[in-house]
Amino acid sequence: MNCKSQRRLGTAIVCAASFLGWSCSDQPHAAARHYKLSESVVKELEDAGFRAREEGQVLGALEMLFGTPAAPGYLVTNEWLDDGFNPNWPNYAVGDNGSGSVTDAEFAAIVEGNRQRFAGVIAEIEAGNFDGVEKALADIPRGNLLAKLWADLYASLGEEPSADDVAAFKDDAKLTFEEYYPSFADSAELYRQQCLHCHGNEGGADGPTARFLNPLPRDYRRGIFKYTALKDKARPRREDLFNTLAQGIYSTAMPNFRRFSDAELHGLVDYVQLLSMRGETEMLLAANMVSDEALTTDMVLETYNDVWGRWSGQDEKLITFDGPIPAPTPELLHRGAELFNDPNKGNCFSCHGQAGIDEHGHSWGGRGNGSAAFADVLDEATGEPVRSPWTGMIEKKATYSDDWGHTIVPRNLEEGVFRFGRRPIDIYRRIYAGINGTPMPAIGESKDAEGNPLLSDEDMWALVHFVRSLSEKHDGIGLLPQRLVARDDSASEHSEHSGHAPAEHGEESTH
Amino acid sequence: MRFLATLLFLALLVFGVWSFQAAESFGAWLPPHVSSFGPDIDALFKLILWMVTFFFILTEVVLIYCVWRFSKKDPSKAHFTHGSHKLEMLWTAVPAGLLLVIAFAQMGAWANIRFPSAFPDGEPVAVAWASQFDWRFQYPGADGVLGTMDDFESAHDFVVPAGEPVKFILRSRDVIHSFSVPQFRLKQDAMPGMAIPVWFQVDEDRPGDYELICMELCGWGHYKMAGKVRALPRAEYDAWVADQQAQFMSNGIEE
Repeated sequence: MNCKSQRRLGTAIVCAASFLGWSCSDQPHAAARHYKLSESVVKELEDAGFRAREEGQVLGALEMLFGTPAAPGYLVTNEWLDDGFNPNWPNYAVGDNGSGSVTDAEFAAIVEGNRQRFAGVIAEIEAGNFDGVEKALADIPRGNLLAKLWADLYASLGEEPSADDVAAFKDDAKLTFEEYYPSFADSAELYRQQCLHCHGNEGGADGPTARFLNPLPRDYRRGIFKYTALKDKARPRREDLFNTLAQGIYSTAMPNFRRFSDAELHGLVDYVQLLSMRGETEMLLAANMVSDEALTTDMVLETYNDVWGRWSGQDEKLITFDGPIPAPTPELLHRGAELFNDPNKGNCFSCHGQAGIDEHGHSWGGRGNGSAAFADVLDEATGEPVRSPWTGMIEKKATYSDDWGHTIVPRNLEEGVFRFGRRPIDIYRRIYAGINGTPMPAIGESKDAEGNPLLSDEDMWALVHFVRSLSEKHDGIGLLPQRLVARDDSASEHSEHSGHAPAEHGEESTH
Repeated sequence: MRFLATLLFLALLVFGVWSFQAAESFGAWLPPHVSSFGPDIDALFKLILWMVTFFFILTEVVLIYCVWRFSKKDPSKAHFTHGSHKLEMLWTAVPAGLLLVIAFAQMGAWANIRFPSAFPDGEPVAVAWASQFDWRFQYPGADGVLGTMDDFESAHDFVVPAGEPVKFILRSRDVIHSFSVPQFRLKQDAMPGMAIPVWFQVDEDRPGDYELICMELCGWGHYKMAGKVRALPRAEYDAWVADQQAQFMSNGIEE
């Protein structure tokens, strides 16, 4: 190899190495400088004859209300100032269970989590080794986000402090880390690292990895969240969002984020709530602008207050049950099976498929193959049902779609995969309030012709326990297919199932 | 040039031997073991490491000698050889013998970890479900039977009693995953459609949180498929189970 080509090779290696170093470095990518308007809002505005100038006005108003990705935060209105309410202050209302605050128990968990996370840092502070704190912080995952917090704190100690000053500073610094609660900017940074790749910069489910997922990630901007513990399709409580982060949504691409501390998760909840409120405000503003033909300050503030109104008072809508949960007796389970298959009561079978209890007392069915949820695929030319060239069976396609416009199929209840949780009260809440944004109805809120509740408390629990019993594994670990353990008397359903159209979720297509 | 090349290979030898001797003090070696499998697995690891070290030094010394001896310009004619039958026998028989040594040395450890006869008696404490990209642990409820309606689930955290054998069933909901806790020296693939019994015992004096990772590339989110094994003293474990069972039967008022 001659000298020149050696040099060229050397340059190439250095370039490749620096490129790799740059692309693999854990330096956070620069935040997008502004939020964008959603495509649907832009279309709505343009259809109404508005142009870039008006779009800019909406963006400006939203930026005033909710800040930018690098500096997110709510606009504090004059009334709030008078009331001493400031949602930008970390854990701004400890002890007060108003919307957006953390409860005493949550705060205790945050402190406990921080003590574990910052154990090394707190040890250095207690030992008086203040110069070691920076390194201890750097050793903690995402500890670099707190470097500035510490630098400012340390600077406050001043030159040549007295022994009393140092003692007071130690207590102060320890408390700062124990009660650490991320700012909006810190949470936005964590969101960019962990959530943005699916949920997108504005929470519009348009991140780069979103399109590979099935089911698709949630678009927060409409304020609709599928899994809450509330009735009336209310906006979620912070506990609901926190649970989604801590538990994940099982069997979807949304994993649990338990590996983060409670403080970080609460910070993410704050930020998701901000994005969601921003999205709702955006859509309402656009609608108001189209009807009023101009954007005014009053309209902006009114919309802002409307959205805040939607996001408060959720605690009154929490679904609970008075008294202990009834035991799942065989009588109750049989009652549940009746309700499940009764078109005038539960009507569950129409989507989830027939279900029952066999002679051994084992529940079976509810495989998500109900006739209402699927339709035959028809040949466009002849109108005849299309048969699969492989199986000879009639091809099926899902008939339902959710509020975001995605095709969805009913849950296979035999799998025992419950996205909101598998506790009896979780299933009770799902049957009572339905699933927001989907065809799953709120049966608990339904009334019959005379205006009485469709299902009594006992009926509700019968249904809940029956649904839970469908996923019982009679060999203990669920290796034996349920249909071999439980009786299967519906040959027709089988053919329906194996031929159905693109299933939304992996577990439905395993049969 | 000849001197430099020899020095380069010598440096490689010295660095290679030094690096594995010093790695432990840099914290770049196996994490300290905390389970009953630890001593066996680490002894096997050391045995194989010393074998490899011996042959590394041997081959490096031969290499260094050859670099030094044959890089000198030699005008004499090269001579042709058909090879040496004796030498070939030797370099086949010695590695085969060593493989046999390893094969016999590991049998006890393998049987202890994998053979059904070595499994602790009693029912499994939980079913560990691996799915893309989540660990979830299904515990029997108040009736003590797995697969019934009162089973509760724990996401991310696998809570087990320390100081006693823990048997669980490993399952996968979708693709192949691998249950791996480096500090337990335990790794087991989870296969879809199979229920694989696994056991371990955390040392009684080492309760604590241990990292659980998926060790089989399982999809785009493989890197975030983390979990935690929390080994608690028996009393705390019982209290945790009771608390989870109570939470499972919550009526939504007290949560």
